[in-house]
Amino acid sequence: MSFFRRLGNLFRDDALSAGAEREMSFHLDERVDDLMRAGMSRPDAEAEARRRFGNRTVMKEQTRDADLLGWLASVADDLRYALRGLRGNPGFAAIAILSLALGIGANAAIFTLVNAVMLRSLPVNDPASLIAVTDERPSQGPVSGSAVLTNPIWEAVRDRSSGVGSFFAYGDTRFDLSTGGVVRRIPAYWVSGGAFQVLGVGAAAGRLLTAGDDVRGCTPVAVLSSGFAQRQFGAAGAAVGASLPLDGHPVTIVGVTDPAFTGMEIGNAPAIYVPLCARPIISGDPQALDHRGNWFLRIMGRLPPGQSIEVTRSRLAAMAPSVYQATLPGNWGREYQHDYLKRTLWAEAGAGGTSDVRHQYSKALTVLLVVVGVVLLIACANVANLLLARATARQREMAVRLAMGAGRGRLVRQLLTESLLLAGLGASLGIVFARWASALLVRYLATRNGSVWLDLHPDLRVLGFAVAVAVATGVLFGLAPAWRATRVDPQAAMKAQSRGTTAARLPVARALVIGQIALSLVLVVAAGLLVGTFRRLTTMNPGFRREGVLVATVDFGNSGLDSARQRLMRDDLLEKLRALPGVRSAALSFTSPISGSGWNEQVIADGDSVVRDRKTSVDFNMVSPGWFQTLGTELRGGRDIAEGDRIGAPFVAVINEAMAHAYFPGGSPLGRSFRISGVDGKPGHPFQIVGVVENAKYGKLNEELQPIAYVPNSQTDWFGSEASYELRVAAGDPLALSAQVTAAALAENHAAQLDFVTLTRQVSESIRRPRLLATVSGFFGGLALLLAIIGLYGTMAYGVAQRRNEIGIRLALGAARSRVLKMVLGEAGTLIGLGAIFGLAGALAATKLVASFLYGVQRNDPLTLALSAVVLGLVALAAGAIPAWRAASLDPAETLRAD
Amino acid sequence: MPRRSDILQGTLALLVLKTLTAQGRMHGYAITAHIQTASRELLRVEEGSLYPALHRMEQDGWVRAEWGVTEKNREARFYTITAAGKRQLATELESWARLTEGVRHVVQFA
Repeated sequence: MSFFRRLGNLFRDDALSAGAEREMSFHLDERVDDLMRAGMSRPDAEAEARRRFGNRTVMKEQTRDADLLGWLASVADDLRYALRGLRGNPGFAAIAILSLALGIGANAAIFTLVNAVMLRSLPVNDPASLIAVTDERPSQGPVSGSAVLTNPIWEAVRDRSSGVGSFFAYGDTRFDLSTGGVVRRIPAYWVSGGAFQVLGVGAAAGRLLTAGDDVRGCTPVAVLSSGFAQRQFGAAGAAVGASLPLDGHPVTIVGVTDPAFTGMEIGNAPAIYVPLCARPIISGDPQALDHRGNWFLRIMGRLPPGQSIEVTRSRLAAMAPSVYQATLPGNWGREYQHDYLKRTLWAEAGAGGTSDVRHQYSKALTVLLVVVGVVLLIACANVANLLLARATARQREMAVRLAMGAGRGRLVRQLLTESLLLAGLGASLGIVFARWASALLVRYLATRNGSVWLDLHPDLRVLGFAVAVAVATGVLFGLAPAWRATRVDPQAAMKAQSRGTTAARLPVARALVIGQIALSLVLVVAAGLLVGTFRRLTTMNPGFRREGVLVATVDFGNSGLDSARQRLMRDDLLEKLRALPGVRSAALSFTSPISGSGWNEQVIADGDSVVRDRKTSVDFNMVSPGWFQTLGTELRGGRDIAEGDRIGAPFVAVINEAMAHAYFPGGSPLGRSFRISGVDGKPGHPFQIVGVVENAKYGKLNEELQPIAYVPNSQTDWFGSEASYELRVAAGDPLALSAQVTAAALAENHAAQLDFVTLTRQVSESIRRPRLLATVSGFFGGLALLLAIIGLYGTMAYGVAQRRNEIGIRLALGAARSRVLKMVLGEAGTLIGLGAIFGLAGALAATKLVASFLYGVQRNDPLTLALSAVVLGLVALAAGAIPAWRAASLDPAETLRAD
Repeated sequence: MPRRSDILQGTLALLVLKTLTAQGRMHGYAITAHIQTASRELLRVEEGSLYPALHRMEQDGWVRAEWGVTEKNREARFYTITAAGKRQLATELESWARLTEGVRHVVQFA
């Protein structure tokens, strides 16, 4: 019989049994016939036939066990037995399965994200031979989005790349698809002509870009992603030949990408691909491709067949000097040029593409994976404890079975089957929970401008992970109880009453509880630190009041007017917005706080002739009069920017206290001045300091105090086409003003483009990661605490139940109830105390992992540590008090009678 | 459940294979009956243990089994010996001869 047929028998076990059954019936029938022919009566003949045949069930089992893999078939019996056991004890089953489902589900959910963000390869041909080019040797870690290069560098690399590999460049951007009014920004990529060929991506309709589409002076064309073509045109085919206005420039669509392709960046699924040569036209800057200081491109490539990445690295490094020499920004100062020429070129494995999301979240996700792993351990300990208690209760059953000749290995197997069944049921429920939870978590990463797009479909890796976790947990929590349950001396166990040997303390259970308390304390401390960080970020004074402010970004770039006319239009619009009903005050600025965009310069204080420290810079903003008042930033000295600070008037600036302290120590900065040091190293004109304001956050809430200089918005014509209007409303939702603001801006110029957000929202989006960490760790810290408390309670309650007799006798002999109470509580206290000591020690070591996520609190913050320990101690003691109280209120007479 | 002794099983296989070689296609009951008569009632197959043995022999490829109908129009499983079974029979006969020879020596001269 072939192996496969044997294997096949496993799955037709019933058919096999039925066959054996039929064959044996035939035999019996024949025997009965013969016996009756010899003169027996039918009943006698039947009885005799059966007697001669022996035990049919055993024969049938033996027939079946003849299968090499027959033992596996009996697993079905074990499973049936285990199921029956669980049905007979639904409370136990529910608690065990639920805690496992939460534990395994949480792990699967976080792992789904880890997989999507850190492990998945790009959905293209042979991702293993892709490389990402960076401009320095990486210190460590995965390729991030940090290696951003200029177009001249890209062209220099491209022209020198023969024999090194085939390369392509891409840069992410957003195109506004509106034609005036509220903007509709769609994520897009600039790509070099060969991108799709190098990646090996096919077209769902039309054709993709080729090298011929990307030559200087081209007529722009575009390729759409499959999803976007569906949404915008109904079908991929319908998009081909159509035209889309990209930032107001109509561009013809030539094709749609394969639906499986989602871009070169994990977490960013672009809708539109436009060749690089279209940049001068769409951006309106004829020199857009020649700026040597315009960093917006990333370079990826594919290794030539058979060539190792080391060879490519050495060739890239060899070409680097000539690439940088050819692209040296001529207007930079000597020192900057020196640094520039020292750069190199380096290749990283690019199978996972590049990813800002990965860069931002890898470490946070790793932390969360550890957190949920610990929660699962605690859940396992709970289930192990439950099983231990059950095993003790089943000791007599085991003893009987051992006495009847059952093999110990067979019994262990049966109990392990039960554990694995629990784990399996928990895992199945957990996977359902995980799908829901991972989708929820991704929403935490999303912003209003673009949801983070991640492929969360469970692939083999996720399923494998879930199965591995389920099996590991099943064995982990099942082996000890199974071993213990079968380690009985049948004689002793059957002789003894339920007290006797079975009442022995359970050292394993106690150790498990101590471990649970220690682990949960570690999580509670970590959660305390992360939640504290988040709370501090949301309640801190960032130097402005975030509530009740509408931020309207207005862009007059498509108006066709020169910058002077745009400036007048901007100021005029501000006047109109100030007059809107419901607006308490309004102002405009180059950028709004925590918006992600900024402008910084190196500054030379008066009296100095060069920049003191090239590593420090000052953040700049251009603001209108009334900006500080609108934002709620306090003026500490001097005056606000005034209407008179216009072109032609002396250049003035308001600085914050941090800048005053850093650049003008000792004495008032009012009346003094500073100059901006240009990239060419030459200082610009002086700004006279007329005011000092309180410190405020500029780019991030968790940044250190940062020197900031505010200059008047109307003193230059190089403000740019886009302005932020900040409107403080009297009451209600600031977004309610959007329609009126839009109308006012369009009345100013019909090509105005607008975008709205509340300052509250803008700030809260900047703390997505702290929020994610705080929410998840807070939830699981609480869950861990709950599980540990259940474990403690269960063990204490069980211990008291086991010692009913002893306690009854003590009470009967006159022990005070308070003494009994103290005895049991003392025991709980010992467990809690030991757990807390181990937990605090563990926390001191483990919080290293979260140190870099903390703000305003040290990782070994004594207050958090103490508070966590106290909270845990009190809750645990309360849980221990219930069984203690129950023990103290036992009726001795009843207890003794029960036996 | 204690296993039957190997000697008995080995012998049973030998008897079954020999019977099938001599008689051709047979069902289980007929095999039992034939062993009983051919041994002049000296041997009695433990009936229940025959089927597990037949099943094992089928898996080892010594016999082939198929469902058929008896003269009395009852459904039964018929067994035939295979080429492998014939080779096995030769081996078993040889070891049986060695065993009886050995036992005879011990009984006579020990």
